[in-house]
Amino acid sequence: MLRASKQQGKSIAVKRSWNLLVFSVGGERLAVRTDDVGGIAHWTDTIPVPSRTPFVQAMLRREKELMPVYDLAARLNRSLVGDPLLCLVAKHLDGSMAICIDGDMPSLQTIDAGALQFSTRTDIETIGSFNDGSGDIPVVALQTLGGTSTNHSGHATGL
Amino acid sequence: MSLRGHHRTESTHEEGISFLVVRLGETYLALPADGVRGVLTPAEAGIGDSIKAVGIIYRYLNLADMLTLSAGFETTDTRVILYSNGRSHAAVRVEQVFGLSEVESAQCVPLPAQFRADERTWFSGMILHEEGLALIVNPTWLLGEVAEVVSMAAGGVLR
Repeated sequence: MLRASKQQGKSIAVKRSWNLLVFSVGGERLAVRTDDVGGIAHWTDTIPVPSRTPFVQAMLRREKELMPVYDLAARLNRSLVGDPLLCLVAKHLDGSMAICIDGDMPSLQTIDAGALQFSTRTDIETIGSFNDGSGDIPVVALQTLGGTSTNHSGHATGL
Repeated sequence: MSLRGHHRTESTHEEGISFLVVRLGETYLALPADGVRGVLTPAEAGIGDSIKAVGIIYRYLNLADMLTLSAGFETTDTRVILYSNGRSHAAVRVEQVFGLSEVESAQCVPLPAQFRADERTWFSGMILHEEGLALIVNPTWLLGEVAEVVSMAAGGVLR
């Protein structure tokens, strides 16, 4: 009974606030849930893979670990900024996925759940957006970015 | 006709799988070695749209075009691979042959699920190769018998 109460309390707490990682791609600020991030590292050379899947045309190798690369900059039609560039490891539902982001070090931000607004963006999967005082920042749905193997639609999920 | 090297990684009791590792453009490909019937220099291959060897006609396939890769075949490293499964036969130009590589079946990993289009038919998996990786070419697709493809997901690497 006590355990159930604790879990319920935790669940409510999760809904009260969102821990976000704010980064940029080609100068455009984006955010993701920190729970969906596997790590940040320097970007390294990728290995091209012949592919007809949009924006998934390379692999990244670290020692014996292999990860597909999702070209978020190409999807947003942006050119990455910074040297060195950074690698954001996304905890995608289909497995870890590497995304190249601008060289500016990402920042952590906690927002109230109420601050998350419905996003009208249809060009990318989001779970909403928030305004940090200097503009709207879309919160990218990393887990389903580009669609999943069980849902190929790739449409924005919205709130 | 000689191969440049024969690499074996980690000897165990598990059955190994041999691949002929070749390069097309920047892409390293692993051809299941049991289908390799010969490796010829361009001079040995001669001119024409097919090669006759030991009574079998191997028609040329443009693998670079099939994979939308840019490749140049004017170097001294260019080779022609004679490939067959006993029913279908093909001659394939590659830019470079790296030799045979024997790996344990556990070291053949499937293409990540984020790759969702034709490449899943082209490649039955991948193996680590030197600092990068080599994509395992699906011989069934290569030889034009794609209707008989068995998915990697169904278990094991196509041989």
